Amino acid sequence: MRDRTLKYLLILPAALIVLGTTIWPLAVSLVTSFRDWRLTRSLAPGPFIGTEHYVIAFTDDPDFANAAMVTALFVLIDVTITVVSALGLALLLRRAGVLQSLTRAVLILPFAVSPALVGISFRFMFNAEMGVFTWLAGVLVPPLQNFVWLADEWAALLVLVFSDAWRWIPYMTLVVLGGLAALPKEPEEAARIDGATELQVLRDVTIPALLPVLAVVAILKTVFALKMFDQVVTLTGGGPGAATTTLAYLVYSIAFRWYDMGYASAVAWILTAILVFLAIWYMKLILRKPGQT
Amino acid sequence: MSPARRRKLLWQAVESAILLGALFLILFPILWMALTAFKRPVDLFGLTFLFTPTLDNFRAIFAHPWNIGHTLLNSFIVAAATVAISVPASTLAAYAFSRFELPFKGALFFTILATQFIPAVVVVLPFYLLFRDLGLLDTVYALIVVNLAIVTPFATWMLKGFLDAVPTESEEAALVDGATRLRVILDVVVPMIWPGVVVTAVFCFILTWNEFLFALILTRDDAVTLPVGITRFRTERGDLWELIAAAGILISIPMFLLASVIQRHFVRGMTGGAVK
Amino acid sequence: MAEVILRNVTKRWGGFVAVRDQSLTVKDGEFMVLLGPSGCGKTTTMRMVAGLEEPTSGDILIGPNRVNDLPPRERDVAMVFQSYGLYPHMTVADNIGYPLKLRGVRGAERQRQIEAAAAKVELGDLLHRKPRELSGGQRQRVALARAIVRRPQVFLMDEPLSNLDAKLRVSTRAEIKHLQYELGVTTIYVTHDQIEAMTLAHRVAVMSQGEIRQLDTPEAIYDRPADLFVAGFIGSPPMNLVRGEHASGVFTAAGGLRAATRIAGHRGAAMLGIRPEDVTVAPAGAGDLDASVYAVELTGDSVLVTAQAGEARLIAKADRAWRAEPGTTIGLKLDATRLHLFDADTTRRLNPE
Repeated sequence: MRDRTLKYLLILPAALIVLGTTIWPLAVSLVTSFRDWRLTRSLAPGPFIGTEHYVIAFTDDPDFANAAMVTALFVLIDVTITVVSALGLALLLRRAGVLQSLTRAVLILPFAVSPALVGISFRFMFNAEMGVFTWLAGVLVPPLQNFVWLADEWAALLVLVFSDAWRWIPYMTLVVLGGLAALPKEPEEAARIDGATELQVLRDVTIPALLPVLAVVAILKTVFALKMFDQVVTLTGGGPGAATTTLAYLVYSIAFRWYDMGYASAVAWILTAILVFLAIWYMKLILRKPGQT
Repeated sequence: MSPARRRKLLWQAVESAILLGALFLILFPILWMALTAFKRPVDLFGLTFLFTPTLDNFRAIFAHPWNIGHTLLNSFIVAAATVAISVPASTLAAYAFSRFELPFKGALFFTILATQFIPAVVVVLPFYLLFRDLGLLDTVYALIVVNLAIVTPFATWMLKGFLDAVPTESEEAALVDGATRLRVILDVVVPMIWPGVVVTAVFCFILTWNEFLFALILTRDDAVTLPVGITRFRTERGDLWELIAAAGILISIPMFLLASVIQRHFVRGMTGGAVK
Repeated sequence: MAEVILRNVTKRWGGFVAVRDQSLTVKDGEFMVLLGPSGCGKTTTMRMVAGLEEPTSGDILIGPNRVNDLPPRERDVAMVFQSYGLYPHMTVADNIGYPLKLRGVRGAERQRQIEAAAAKVELGDLLHRKPRELSGGQRQRVALARAIVRRPQVFLMDEPLSNLDAKLRVSTRAEIKHLQYELGVTTIYVTHDQIEAMTLAHRVAVMSQGEIRQLDTPEAIYDRPADLFVAGFIGSPPMNLVRGEHASGVFTAAGGLRAATRIAGHRGAAMLGIRPEDVTVAPAGAGDLDASVYAVELTGDSVLVTAQAGEARLIAKADRAWRAEPGTTIGLKLDATRLHLFDADTTRRLNPE
């Protein structure tokens, strides 16, 4: 068989899978988002109502406004902490040493833990009566001795960030380490010979050269933070109140607590639109580098 | 001691302190859950490292009513089947993307990448309705299908990265030596990127094994997988933390082992070769 | 064994023309070298013969057959790649035997042919190694053995020596020449190294920007370069080229250079070319022109003298005992029988054959 026929046959199975498992549901969700379809009333799809769901979401739904706010806060704190910590940790881990190689060796562990398990474990460790982190916080900062972390709106959000950062910072540190290893050594050595202090080398040479990698880390972390769902379910349940109800969790609540498929699809598509925008940005970033597609 | 030397030692001490702190933060939650798995319920409040260890928790989760063995089997079936379907399909597609000119190649490949950015919750809504109509809710088949959505684009992206890094000369040599294109793929390409195939398969296995949202929405009893299974220990009578910890160990140990196997390639996973 | 004919072959990638309307006949048993700088289209030309690239237009014939539509496996050619293209997961024996395996040669017969090919390139005791356990030179031999194990109609070699160190390159070059002589297989050999081209080829095709600039024997290409490109590309150090005016058989350039060219019927801007070995050093005033020494470099068997004459800088090859301080005025003598004259506009050679 000639290559010009064969190449289509080669992509066919994967194309069918992507078409059936991603494109189709996306299309159906989009169509559903323009319908009034509440499973509590009828199992059959309801009538088309135009863009009403989108209008409601943006103008007349405090739950959506709250979830958008919570998501934005979560993403902002989570991404900042992750990028800064991953960069700092990676810079410390460049050097050879027992402590360094030990730390490098355990960096992959958190990412291999199921996010749902991470959430439930942190729930246990921040438990009011027997949480080891609750106790530890009380020892380190006495006023926090009887603080119930998951009952406080801000604290719950911070615990959620902590659990997600725990899983992602080590992974992103590995990514930054990979970027550091790929940097040529000569510019740093030249800067040192030219008389720069270590801090100046870092500020003027290393970090500028690392910016593309840091951008990859920041965008990817933003994407995964926007999608974050598992820990909300197992750690905070979206609470207290709706203090940790992110957009992804809100979609779930609308669809499977209130069974409003139409509105859930609309909110899901708003989230999707944001993510696709980020995807385009990300693609541009990584495809710009020659030789790496 | 010279001031320069003193400054250097001080800085090294600070570095070591930060690294020790990082090590503690990374390892402590894992260690604490591992200890909890061997505690009796009365020891849970102790916050102590000194207790009489017991295997009762592991016995309990495998016994009635928890029957975690069944959940474990579901997790394994779903992850293994997803990998077995998606990795071969992805390998062929990645080869075509890596080696041939295709019409709309850029757009096609962008679609494949972009699907990784789509929130799983938007994909699961139509599938929930479809599987409900087909009577496939709470079956492993439903889970396998939706997991393919996550894993296939991801595997294609990852394998293309491996293929792009392999020089094409050996393949061309085989073509000139008299092999057909399919033969080249089997005889030359697959053996050459075999480590990449293994890494991809392991990565996809980990992703599927840890997947929570699909399982939460599409299963109820029969087809529950481990990540949803652990939430079952939060009962009306309270949270059975020692059982959660024991089940957590059961989920995590195989993933730790797999992750160590592919450690060197771990970074490639999510970044798709953007960072080596 | 067969001739290879390219008839008006063009290869385009989008707007980029890699090979432009190329016609070339490689005779049966001939050793043809395609020589040129990187990006000149030489490798693309070879890959179209192999069937690894499809020509945009034109015909490619191997023997009597038009092979444009045949996949590589049906063209009966063997190829040695620049980085050898070995199968990293197979042993040396399996690498060499793979073309036989694909053709259904079995068991003992295959083994016998593998061993014969391996013996020919002195690989006999390495048959059970993997490519990664071999040195660069040994890998090169595996690639050669894999090419000769079946008697193909055409050998294609894509810069096969460029990844070897200098010493090994010289000895392997001789071995390739001997192998081709012994087997008598039509061979197309791509290189950017003019020494390889001069030493190996029956005929050399010098290429630039997708076109053949000159197709001739190594001697003819060296002695009678067809245009400025070939003149500048062949020879090390390269031919001296001086810009000036040509009229009534006399070339004049700024800086006092005058040379009789004995070429009638050309007037206008021209380039005079002369190889360093055809320029001799003389005392000031005793040569065809005077020049100031710029640098003196000992190469071992001779001394290269770079001298400034007006705008032009000329290189002369002097006896290895010759020395002078930079700035010294010397005379340069040009061998009048070895002058090359090129039209400055068309770049074509003006000397009659």
